[in-house]
Amino acid sequence: MPQFEQVEVFHSLIFWSLISFAILFFLLKRFAFPPILEVLEERENKIRSEIGDAEKLRQEAEGLKADLGRELKNAHEKAQTIIQMAGDESKKIQEKSIQETQVKVRQMQNDAEQEIQITRNKLLNEIRSYTAALTMASTEKVIKKSLSDDDKKRLIDESIEEVLREMESRGV
Amino acid sequence: MENPLHHFEIHPIVHLSLMGFDISISKAVIAMWVGLSIVFGLFMLVVKSGVRLIPGKLQIVAEISLGFIKDMVEEFIGEKEAPKYFPFIATIFFFVLACNLIGMIPGSYTITSQLVVTGVFATGIFILTLFIGFAKHGLHFFGILVPPGVPKIMIPIMIPIEIISMIARPVSLSVRLFANMTAGHTILYVLFGLAMSTPLMIGWLPFGFTVAINGLEIAIAFIQAYIFTILTCVYIGDVIHLH
Repeated sequence: MPQFEQVEVFHSLIFWSLISFAILFFLLKRFAFPPILEVLEERENKIRSEIGDAEKLRQEAEGLKADLGRELKNAHEKAQTIIQMAGDESKKIQEKSIQETQVKVRQMQNDAEQEIQITRNKLLNEIRSYTAALTMASTEKVIKKSLSDDDKKRLIDESIEEVLREMESRGV
Repeated sequence: MENPLHHFEIHPIVHLSLMGFDISISKAVIAMWVGLSIVFGLFMLVVKSGVRLIPGKLQIVAEISLGFIKDMVEEFIGEKEAPKYFPFIATIFFFVLACNLIGMIPGSYTITSQLVVTGVFATGIFILTLFIGFAKHGLHFFGILVPPGVPKIMIPIMIPIEIISMIARPVSLSVRLFANMTAGHTILYVLFGLAMSTPLMIGWLPFGFTVAINGLEIAIAFIQAYIFTILTCVYIGDVIHLH
């Protein structure tokens, strides 16, 4: 086998293979490996940090979601309270205004009744005096003679009573 | 038919000598240089075209191969020590791979089919492991000769066995690579010889085999480079961790 028999080339093979290996080792170690290993590491770090960031963002988003949910619930509750309060207030205002209106109406009714009463009394007095004069005049004319004062008064009263009865029967 | 081992013969092309030693440049040396230049050239092509975070095709190949070796070194030597040994281990891989593959080109030469070359590398790695072992553990390094859990009475038997197994490591490392490369090329040569020396009617059969064996040889070139590298890792890892 030439690999065992050609002893004379051994020196050259050993020498050149070792030298070549050493040169290749130096060149690769100096120029080729560092940038490639660096980029491998950089990529690994980038992926790791981005996964970490994504995880952090996810947690933040979950926190925000929970916060938002809580705030939404609070706002909902607040809105509900405001609606409730507004309802109560409007009911109160409504009741108050009804009460006021009722009081006013009652007042107006009383005033009107009072006025009617006053007017009625005034009217009655007017009628009474008018009727007295009328009765006196007419009686004087009818009997053509003067009556005593007592007769006059009695006659007047009778006439008045008659007129009043007449009026009441007619519903004045 | 010619001697199938004939093409393993080396004939000097440029005669050189250094301090009385013949260091003539032969086809084997030139083929090795071409292979190593291609390796370095490809790496430089990746580096010079700009190593980017989003890699190109060639960069992906470089990254995968280096990542693969890095994982291997970290697995066997440990993550803490790995960066120190990575360039050496990776260079061994690419050196063996380039020498194995360049030999697949007809008319070229596989320098790893020379036992003296694989032997020098295996011995060098063996001496390196001893050096690392003593530097790291001092005299405790002799503990590697006594596997853990061995009864005291067995120690006198175990030590010679362990010494033999330690010495067997560089021998097996070098012979494995040399034998694989030599055998593959010899088989190819024999099959080609058959294909050429028989009539076409029968000759296509060995020729077809050469095509298949060529594919197999390329796979073996990778596998042997891988085995050589992984065993180097294991040996260095062993002396660092001491069992």
